[in-house]
Amino acid sequence: MSKPVVVLGLLGTTLDSARPDEDRWNRWRPTVSLCQHDDLLIERVELMHPKKSAPTAEIVASDLRAVSPETEVRRHVLDWRDPWDFQEVFGALHEFARSYAFDPDREDYLVHITTGTHVAQICLFLLTESRHFPARLVQTSPPKRFRGGEIGRYQIIDLDLSRYDRIAMRFRDEHREASSFLKSGIETRSAAFNALIDRIEHVAIASEAPMLLTGPTGAGKSQLARRIYELKHARRQVDGPFVDVNCATLRGDAAMSTLFGHVKGAFTGATSDRSGLLVSARDGVLFLDEIGELGLDEQAMLLRAIEEKRFFPVGSDREVESDFQLIAGTNRDLRVEVARGAFREDLLARIDLWTFELPGLRDRRDDIEPNLAYELDQFARRTGRQIRFNREARERFLRFATSDDATWRSNFRDLNAALTRMATLAPSGRIRREVVDEEIERLRRGWERPESDAKRNDAERLLESVLGAEAAERLDRFDRVQLADVLDVVRNTPSLSEAGRILFARSRERRATRNDADRLRKYLAKFGIRHEDVRQIERST
Amino acid sequence: MKTQDHISIDGAQGEGGGQVLRSSLALSLVTGRAFEIVNIRAGRKKPGLLRQHLTAVTAAARVGGAEVEGADPRSTSLRFRPGAVGPIDAEFAVGTAGSTTLVLQTVLPALLTASGPSKIRLEGGTHNPFAPPFDFLEKTFLPLIARMGPKVTVALERPGFFPAGGGKFTVTIEPSEALKRIDLLERGGIHQRRAVARVAGGVPRRVAEREVRDIARRLSMKPTDCHIEEVTDSLGPGNIVTIELESDAVTEVFTGFGERGVPAESVAQSAVKRARKYIASDAPVGEYLADQLLLPMAIAGGGSFRTLPPTRHTLTNADVIRAFLDVDIDIRKETRETWRVTIETTGDDR
Repeated sequence: MSKPVVVLGLLGTTLDSARPDEDRWNRWRPTVSLCQHDDLLIERVELMHPKKSAPTAEIVASDLRAVSPETEVRRHVLDWRDPWDFQEVFGALHEFARSYAFDPDREDYLVHITTGTHVAQICLFLLTESRHFPARLVQTSPPKRFRGGEIGRYQIIDLDLSRYDRIAMRFRDEHREASSFLKSGIETRSAAFNALIDRIEHVAIASEAPMLLTGPTGAGKSQLARRIYELKHARRQVDGPFVDVNCATLRGDAAMSTLFGHVKGAFTGATSDRSGLLVSARDGVLFLDEIGELGLDEQAMLLRAIEEKRFFPVGSDREVESDFQLIAGTNRDLRVEVARGAFREDLLARIDLWTFELPGLRDRRDDIEPNLAYELDQFARRTGRQIRFNREARERFLRFATSDDATWRSNFRDLNAALTRMATLAPSGRIRREVVDEEIERLRRGWERPESDAKRNDAERLLESVLGAEAAERLDRFDRVQLADVLDVVRNTPSLSEAGRILFARSRERRATRNDADRLRKYLAKFGIRHEDVRQIERST
Repeated sequence: MKTQDHISIDGAQGEGGGQVLRSSLALSLVTGRAFEIVNIRAGRKKPGLLRQHLTAVTAAARVGGAEVEGADPRSTSLRFRPGAVGPIDAEFAVGTAGSTTLVLQTVLPALLTASGPSKIRLEGGTHNPFAPPFDFLEKTFLPLIARMGPKVTVALERPGFFPAGGGKFTVTIEPSEALKRIDLLERGGIHQRRAVARVAGGVPRRVAEREVRDIARRLSMKPTDCHIEEVTDSLGPGNIVTIELESDAVTEVFTGFGERGVPAESVAQSAVKRARKYIASDAPVGEYLADQLLLPMAIAGGGSFRTLPPTRHTLTNADVIRAFLDVDIDIRKETRETWRVTIETTGDDR
């Protein structure tokens, strides 16, 4: 059995009006007509009307009893001074909705929106959309020509748009377009990546909260952030600019002022006011790449700026306001940074509401081929030269690119560089086998080193800064690796005892005496290094 | 007797409207046999059960203490399993000025032979272009039922016209043990003609005057046989004319329904046209009556009548009756204007 239908509606003081002396059956009356349809059985009508319209309501109620004896009519006096006053009408209807004992499990509600002022109709719509009326809308319309007795039409409108096939399809198309836009139109095949982008699309459209994009360098964080901005801009969700900055480039005093601005005279060299990137990004999107590189002071300021939408420029005692959406990027595990004391826990909590991890190219082998086409296309746009692969050359390159030999350490940066090189070297716009073989060899060599460039350079720098360039140069390779690792631990721990506990963690368990600090001190002394020398070195970032 | 446990009815058969449903309900109550109907009103603009059909289902379920599945607006299938049919004292209301006479038609056959008298109050439309009007019920149909045994009286409290509806009438049924066979083969002379024009709810009296004047002229009737009634208690406007032709065998009623924008003379003529067709043939039973007589005659186990060429309604009705009852319904052309319908029981175990 279907649920009984209950109609809630306003008495149309004009359309439903009826004087006893006129022939009211020769006129189309919306509320009466709604109960005359032979395919719509209405259990009850809740008729709301102002007090002064009681006589009309009485006539309408009695006519409803005649045309629809199955229908019970309940009248509710709902008064407002001005039926065109939005606040007043909304308030009265809201109150009615709140006090009405809806039982949607047992009854099927329809809100009749044909009667009442336009303001009242808007209020009914809003209250239905917000589910204060757990109902569908029903609209009645008069016959084309009234000869006598025609009842016109009624239409039930469900505001749950997912119930309409064609609308749902439209939304799916829109979603697909947006996802495709985020992927720069590249027909990616990796199911996991496509699911990730679908989710990002959903969140980007639905939320203004900060987003955190993680993943290895070159995975496309920066490009994706810009695309997210462009999508939101196209949907008119932001009208400010896209501002992006790599936090690794912000060091020392300048960092604060670059981000938050300063006033003239705030420090030496501050010869004029500077508004800062947070202000530039007002009403737009601020992309902070490598956010883990940001100093602790800047992190504190940023947190406040995100939460309060206001902050103090350097040297200013007047706050400025700027509302922007933050997208942060990092290739580090910020939780580890928090544990190390290098990243504020409260800031992480604020920005990792939506964390998306972009996989490296190695984990998206299926997507290399479509990206190849994209890169060639981009090259053509940039240079005006249309480049194509030989069939053989293409297969050869793809075979290598998707093999385990290809580590794609810098991900899309590597791919882009490889394509740019091959395209540049391609004679008369054709990439041939020779060019591919050469490129494969070059990539292979580049990836050969056991450690990443960054990590290796880091170790070299550390040795140099502790020992001095000359002494570091004289070290045997045998010692280099061990010493660099020991120094890295020492500089990141507050005491030698602490460092010793980490470095000798395994053997500690088996020993009776545990003077690891002493052991460590002696080891360092062998290289002429004192604890203080290491402590002066900046912590690893 | 047919052995099938429940009967399957295709609602799309024949004229494919609500009649198939109503006849099935009536026959189910009479035979006590369950049925399932699918494709209810399949060919119609709004297929499935409409409100007036639901009222008919409700009424039938009440009379037969039936279990019902699918009685929802716009449902296109229905299962109906009657329990014990008993006399009732009940009220049924039909919305949208839908016809109360059709609801009565659904429950009446079973109540004609029920174990005791029934009383039904009906509310809704009483004079509706798509159903036999109250006057047909009172003047034509029920007197014939009386000849079959049961005594059914109707009292109109207030007419209900489209679109306002709100008409009311009461039916009292004094059943008989069984229905007697009747045969309506000869009409005999038409010895009484009567025209009545009714106006209600603000429709001016002169409309009725023009209608009776037109009928009197076209059918050469005496002014004393023409009557005008001004209905004062109708809930809405309304206008109908009826022409009653009384012969030895039967009183036939022909109706014209007034509509806004349609001249009174046209309303009169639509009734006149049907009356003339009836007069021209010598059959005693008109088109609508033929349709209505099949069921009681089948229940009675036999009967016959001569009539005008059968309508699709009549043929469909005959098919539904054959599905429920072991009867032969023979419909045969006699002359250009008249057909003969004969109903006989086939089984001997009924």
